[in-house]
Amino acid sequence: MNVFFSLFKKELRTCFLSPIAYVVMFFFWALTGGNFVWLLSQLAHGESLTVAAQLMFSGPLLTFALPVVIPLITMRLFAEERKLGTLESLLTTSVRVPELVLSKFAGALVFYMVLWLPILVYAYIQSRLCPAEGIAFPDAGALRAGGLGVVLVGGLYVSVGLFMSSLTSNQIVAAISGFALLFGSTLGMAIMAYSSTTSSIRIVGQYLSSFAHMMDFSRGIVDSRTIVLYLSYTALFLFTSVKAVEARRP
Amino acid sequence: MIKVSEVTKKYPARLAVDNISFEVNRGEIVGFLGPNGAGKTTTMRMLAGYFPMNSGSIEVAGFDVRKDAREVRKRIGYLPESCPLYPEMRVDEYLRFRAELKGVKSSARKAKIAEVKEQCGLTDVGKRIIGQLSKGYRQRVGLADSLVHDPDLLILDEPTVGLDPIQIRQVRELIKQLAERHTILLSTHILQEVEAICERILIINEGKIVASDTEENLHRKLHACAVIEMEVAAEKAHAIGRVNALPGLDVRNSNALPDGWLRMEIEADSPEMRVDLFNLAVTEGWVLRELSEQEHSLEDTFVQITRNLGVTP
Repeated sequence: MNVFFSLFKKELRTCFLSPIAYVVMFFFWALTGGNFVWLLSQLAHGESLTVAAQLMFSGPLLTFALPVVIPLITMRLFAEERKLGTLESLLTTSVRVPELVLSKFAGALVFYMVLWLPILVYAYIQSRLCPAEGIAFPDAGALRAGGLGVVLVGGLYVSVGLFMSSLTSNQIVAAISGFALLFGSTLGMAIMAYSSTTSSIRIVGQYLSSFAHMMDFSRGIVDSRTIVLYLSYTALFLFTSVKAVEARRP
Repeated sequence: MIKVSEVTKKYPARLAVDNISFEVNRGEIVGFLGPNGAGKTTTMRMLAGYFPMNSGSIEVAGFDVRKDAREVRKRIGYLPESCPLYPEMRVDEYLRFRAELKGVKSSARKAKIAEVKEQCGLTDVGKRIIGQLSKGYRQRVGLADSLVHDPDLLILDEPTVGLDPIQIRQVRELIKQLAERHTILLSTHILQEVEAICERILIINEGKIVASDTEENLHRKLHACAVIEMEVAAEKAHAIGRVNALPGLDVRNSNALPDGWLRMEIEADSPEMRVDLFNLAVTEGWVLRELSEQEHSLEDTFVQITRNLGVTP
């Protein structure tokens, strides 16, 4: 446990010391800010509260920003250790590989959650701007569900990025392959769920599309099937990352 | 301390280590010598438990590297070849991080880090960022890291590579000091290095251990015969003919010097045959200004060992 905590601390420190973290933060915060302005203008034009609430966590801007942003956070994790050769010095101490993988996962997930912090400010602004009689807006339940969705989807994306990084010593390769897989699947599932004319494909798409899931979470719908889906996929990618690191390719 | 038995390691395209066996006793300082690509790093990585082997067994301090990997790692201080460090960390931060990973108790950590910094001459650079340190200092940080959990055995993979001559001397001095308290296995392809530091030499070539002995013994074995240098004032062809006529002597090389003297390198069955050469000079009436046995460096030994096996180093 102590070892895990040291690794986790080191991971966070490295993350916040890297310039890429602040570049990512700048763009993501600009994006969430723009998204919030859009939400407010929708409200001003008389859009329903439900539709406006969805924009909080799942506007199309955010849905397609995450597959870009997360590989930029995770590309470093193992690729850099391989490049520097520090993976060798880590694995010749009594560090266990699952400890190492989990600490990197936790570090990247915490940084990802920091990216979402401005949402608290936006929720506060909303609650000050819309003191509608008898309506609680923004709805506390929807906010909590949205937060859960953000962590679940982010957890899966981080584990995918981590896995890609564990396969290579080249950060660019890790980032691009992570981006291709995440963006491709997000887009593909969204197309299946919303544009397919065949109803069976549409149903499968809605089961798997992170876009659809985030819509549900933002409306306050927490479906246990979705939770199981994300947790099991995350576990699968973490497990394959452990195996990839244990293969110890120099 | 180390017991390697019949270890083989295959890479997809080639055999890196071919059925090697050797032992290193407690307190020894052993040089692991071989040309680049001979299998030194692979062997050291297997010792440190980083690479699995295909067959054979390795014991370190009585623990099997495969079965008790964590026990083995606790007892080894391993400095990988490129001395990998995190460039964004400060020296103190890095050593603290490594001490935590290696399970140095938090009560002892501060004192231990101060001790290894003192040993490795890092006391003044604790607050410096590793990426801004010179190569020599980084090497010392790597050494301090390998010492921080007080291991019984130090495995140092090319500890002086890429350093300037002054830094090399400093690192060698440091390693010699460490030998008082630790068993050391160090690899290098630089011959002077083992001559300067090591008590015993293991020579590896193309994945095989080709020699394992003290430096003097290796010399003695390989140079039962001697090379004698002789400078005389004599006519070249005549002198060579006369020397070759003696049994057990053979002129390997001869050179007419610009000042009129003749210099010959003569292979002899024993260095004592200098007496025969002196007597020859007396009977022939040659004036003699030099007669000496050539000193052999480890380099000759090494070249000879590898050449005997039909490979060029």
